Amino acid sequence: MAEISEANDSDSSELQDNGSEAPQRPESEPDFDPKLMRKTKPGLKRLVLTFSVLFSFLLGFPFLWKSVEIYRSPLPFREIDSLSTQLRSDNLLFPLHFHALFVGFDHDPDHLRRSILLEITKLTSQNPKCSNSYTLSVNVDLGSHCLHSPVSSPHSSSYPCGSVTATDFVQNDDVAVDERLVSVFGGKTKEYIVAVVKGGSERAVVGKHRHAWMVVGGGRKVEVAAVKVAELLVKLFINGGREEGSIRNEFMPVGADGKIVLSFNLLNADPLDWVYDWDFEKIDDTLLAPMIEALGPVANISVESQVLYHTPKASFSFWNQKLESYVFSTKDLPFFVNSNEWHLDTSIAAGGRSNILQFAVYVPSAKECPLLLQLPNGEISKTNGFISPMWGGVIVWNPQGCLNDSEFEPSAKNIIPIQDLENMFEVFIGQFRQLFGFKSVNVYAGASGDWNLLPSERGFTEWELDVLSRQHTCFNLHSCATTLVSLSRLVQSLPRMIIMDDIGKQVKFSLEAAKLALSNASSGAYESSAAASSQARSLAEDAFFHPSIMSVSYYSFEHCFAVYSPFFLPVSMHVVLAALRELRRYKQEKAKYLVWKAKANTSS
Amino acid sequence: METFNNSKPILLFLLLPCLLLYSLIAFNSSSVEAAMHTNNWAVLVCTSRFWFNYRHMANTLSLYRTVKRLGIPDERIILMLADDMACNTRNKYPAQVFNNENHRLNLYGDNVEVDYRGYEVTVENFLRVLTGRHETAVPRSKRLLSDEGSHILLYMTGHGGDEFLKFQDSEELQSHDLADAVKQMKEKHRFKELLIMVDTCQAATLFNQLQSPGVLAIGSSMKGENSYSHHLDSDVGVSVVDRFTYYTLAFFERLNIYDNASLSSSFSSYNPSLLMSTAYYRKDLYKRNLEEVPVTNFFGSVMETIHTDAAYKALSRINSGRFEAQTSLDQSVHHIEKRMPMKVNDQEETHNIIPEGEEGASKCPWSTFWNKFRKGENVDTLVNYGLVAMIPLLVISTWLVQ
Repeated sequence: MAEISEANDSDSSELQDNGSEAPQRPESEPDFDPKLMRKTKPGLKRLVLTFSVLFSFLLGFPFLWKSVEIYRSPLPFREIDSLSTQLRSDNLLFPLHFHALFVGFDHDPDHLRRSILLEITKLTSQNPKCSNSYTLSVNVDLGSHCLHSPVSSPHSSSYPCGSVTATDFVQNDDVAVDERLVSVFGGKTKEYIVAVVKGGSERAVVGKHRHAWMVVGGGRKVEVAAVKVAELLVKLFINGGREEGSIRNEFMPVGADGKIVLSFNLLNADPLDWVYDWDFEKIDDTLLAPMIEALGPVANISVESQVLYHTPKASFSFWNQKLESYVFSTKDLPFFVNSNEWHLDTSIAAGGRSNILQFAVYVPSAKECPLLLQLPNGEISKTNGFISPMWGGVIVWNPQGCLNDSEFEPSAKNIIPIQDLENMFEVFIGQFRQLFGFKSVNVYAGASGDWNLLPSERGFTEWELDVLSRQHTCFNLHSCATTLVSLSRLVQSLPRMIIMDDIGKQVKFSLEAAKLALSNASSGAYESSAAASSQARSLAEDAFFHPSIMSVSYYSFEHCFAVYSPFFLPVSMHVVLAALRELRRYKQEKAKYLVWKAKANTSS
Repeated sequence: METFNNSKPILLFLLLPCLLLYSLIAFNSSSVEAAMHTNNWAVLVCTSRFWFNYRHMANTLSLYRTVKRLGIPDERIILMLADDMACNTRNKYPAQVFNNENHRLNLYGDNVEVDYRGYEVTVENFLRVLTGRHETAVPRSKRLLSDEGSHILLYMTGHGGDEFLKFQDSEELQSHDLADAVKQMKEKHRFKELLIMVDTCQAATLFNQLQSPGVLAIGSSMKGENSYSHHLDSDVGVSVVDRFTYYTLAFFERLNIYDNASLSSSFSSYNPSLLMSTAYYRKDLYKRNLEEVPVTNFFGSVMETIHTDAAYKALSRINSGRFEAQTSLDQSVHHIEKRMPMKVNDQEETHNIIPEGEEGASKCPWSTFWNKFRKGENVDTLVNYGLVAMIPLLVISTWLVQ
C-alpha cells in the first residue's frame, strides 16, 4: 500500500500538464481524501509504456515460434493407411483364363467343365496374401463340329473348329508340337491352354509358352484326364511347381532396390597344381543375356565375374576306392564354403540395398581330385552342385588333369573347354531357378501323373515368368505397404524430427507406383504390374532408410523448453506482471478520480 | 489446481482413441510368417579408447577370432574398434594384441578387417549400422545387410553403468536408444533372432527396455555390480581380458564348426564366484528353448543347402560349338504385352492430407504423458513436467504478493 501512495504522490506531481490544481491540501474543499480520491485524470503514459513492451513481446512471439519450427514435409498418412487396408482386406486378385480343349472325345463340355472346376477347387489352397480368380472354358472338338462351354464366353467361342487334330500330336518332337499350338492359338493371348487328345502313346508335356498337351490312350476315362488337367492348372500354371502357393521369403532373392548382382567366381583351390581360366564374356552374351532380359520386369540383373586363387574348401573329403575318387557327402555341404579364404565379396557394382548372388565354380587341387558329391541314397550327383537360399550356388568341376593323367600337359594357364563351360552354365541356370523357388529338373511329378516340362532357351518359360511376375508383384506390394506403414508410424512418433522433401516425394511416387501395379494386376498385365510393384517397393525402402531419420539427432521438446525458458520465462513473467500491475493501478486511479468527480458534482 | 481436475475427463476422452489405435497397430504387426534361417551376422563393438582400456579391445578381438573360426566370414562381420592398441606407441609388442599373459594367441595376427576404427565409432554410427540408415556413399562392407532370416550376434564391451554404455569417453548410448533401434530393426525384418552380449559394469541394465520378440540378451553383471578384469599382464603392463569374456572364450575354444553345444550350456557355464558378478540373461522375449538352440546358430555359420538335382537342359538342342547367338529364336514368338497403364484419377487426394499428420502428432503426447503418469514409470519425465507445472504456481504467487 505504501508503494501505491508513493506512486500516487509522484504521479500527481508528474501530471502537471494540466497543472491547474495545486498539490497542497485544499482545506477549502471538504471530504477530500487523497487516499480515496484524486483530482486529476490519471495519465496513460505508464500504461502505454508497459503495454507497448508487452505488445512487442507478443508481436515477437510468432517469429520466435517460427524460428524454432522444424520443417516436416507433409506425408500422405491417410493414403498409406488406405493402401495397407486395401491390400490386407481384399486380396490381390490376378485374373487367369484357362482353356481346355478335348480332341476326339465325345463328351458333354459342360460336364467336363464342371468336373475340372470341382477338382480345381479341391486343390486350391487358401493363400491369405494373394489369390487368383480364374475362368475356365472348355471346347470339345469332334472333327466335324465343336461344342463349347460356357456358351457365352468369348474365349471358347473364338477357337477355330477343327484346327487341332490328333495327327498333330503323333510325332515325338515336342518343340514342333509346341510351335503348332502357338500357330493355332496365336501367341498374343494370355490364356493358358490345355489340349487333351485321344491318341496312342501316353504323353503329358507342358510347352515353353502357355500351352500344355496330353495324349490319352484309348480306353482311359476322361474323368481321370480331367483330374490331371486340374492338377496341371493349379500346381503348375498357378503355383509354378512349388508345393504350396504361399510365398517363402528365402526364395525371393531380389534386393530391396529391385536389383540382383550375379557374381560368378572361378576358384582355383591350389594354383600350384593347375590354373584355370574361362571365356566368360562369350558365355555371358549367349547364355546369360536372354535370361537376364526375360527377367527384366522382375529384377534388374547385372553380372560380374572374377577368377580367384588359393581358395581351398573348408570341409573334408574321403577317398572312395570303388569310385576311384574323393567323395564328399551332403552332410558336408553346409561347411563347404570356406569364408575365410574365399573372398567373394569384392563387388563394386552392387549398391547398398541390392542383393548379391554368388555362383562359384570350384576347381579342386591335385590332392583331392576328382571330387564327387555323394547323395544320401548312395548315388553320385549328376551336377556336383548345390545352392544356399539367398546366397547363391557352388559347382565342383573336375579338370581334365585328374580325370586322365596321361593326356594332360600342365601349362601356365588352361582354359575350361567350351563344352564343359556350357554344361556348367546349364547347371547354373538350374541353380538360379532353384534360388527363385523353381525346380531344376524338367519333369513335374504330380499326384496324378508326370508332366514333362519343356525347357526354354531363356531359362524360364513364359508361364513360369507369369508365375514369377505374380508372386513378385504380391510380395513387393505387401512389402511396400508394410514399409510405408512403419515409416508413417515412426514419423508420427517423433514429432520434432525434420522430414525432408526427398522423403515426401519418394512416398508419393511409391504410392503412385503401387496404385499402378494394383490396377495392372487386376487387368492381367503381369509384367507391367511386376515392374511397377518393384519400383514401389524400392521407393518405399529409399524413403524408410533415408539417412536423416535418426532419432538421436533431434532434440526433444523438453530440451527445447529447457534451452529457451531460462531467459524467456523470467522476463516474460516480469513484463506480464508489470503490465497487469499498471492496469490495476490505472483502474484504481480512475476509480478515485471518478469518486472525486462525483463528489465535486454533488457538492457543486 | 481446479483446472487440472476438470481436464481429467477430457484427457481420458483424448486417450481412448489413441489407445485403440495403438492396440490395432500392435495386433496387426504381430502376424508375421516364420522365415528360414539363412545366414549369421556379427556386430562386435568396442567402445573405449586409451591404452588402459586394452582389455576391451582384446575382448572384442577375441570374439572376432572365435566367430571367424566358427565360420562367419568377414563380409558378415561388422567390427568396430574405438582405438588402436596393436600399433599404439605404448605397446611393447607392436602389431600384436594378446588376451592372455601366456601370449599364446596373437589376436591381431592376420586377416583382421576392422570396419569402423577410431573416431568413427560413435553412437550415431552404431545406431546407423543397426537400423541401416546410411548415407548412399557408405560401402557395403560397413553396412549390416541382414534380412529376415538372419541371426545377429551383437557384442558390446567397454565402460558402462545404469542404463547406459559409454562411447569414446565423450558420449553415451542409452538403453532406450538401443531398444528403439532394435524395435526398428524388428519392424523392418532385419533379423530373425538377435543375441546381445554385453560385457561392462551393470551390463544387464542396458537391455532393460527391450521389448521386441526374438531377442536374447546376456550381460556380465547386474545392476549395482561391477564387471572385473581377469588378470594383469605384467609384460604388456595392463589387464588383458575381462572375466566374462575370458570364461566365454574358455567355453568356445573347445568347440569347432561341427559341434552343437547348446546355448543353455554356454549360459550356465558362468560361475558367479569366478566372475565376481552375476551374469544375468534375459530370455522372456525369446520363444525357443535354450536347450535346443546350438551356439553355432549365433556364433558360427552353418549354411542351409539344397542339392541341385539336374542341369537345365535348354541348350541340348543347340549344337555345341555353335556360339553364334540364336537369340532371335525366341524373340519372334515372344510378345511382350506393354499395354498403356491406366492412370488412376485420385491424385487430388494427395493434396488434402496435409494437416492430418500434424493433428495426429499433437494429440498423442497427451496420452503418452497420461500413460506414463499412471504407470509412474519414468520418474525423469515426471520431474520435467512437474517443473513445467511450477511456473504457473510461480506466476500466481508473485501476483498474490503484490
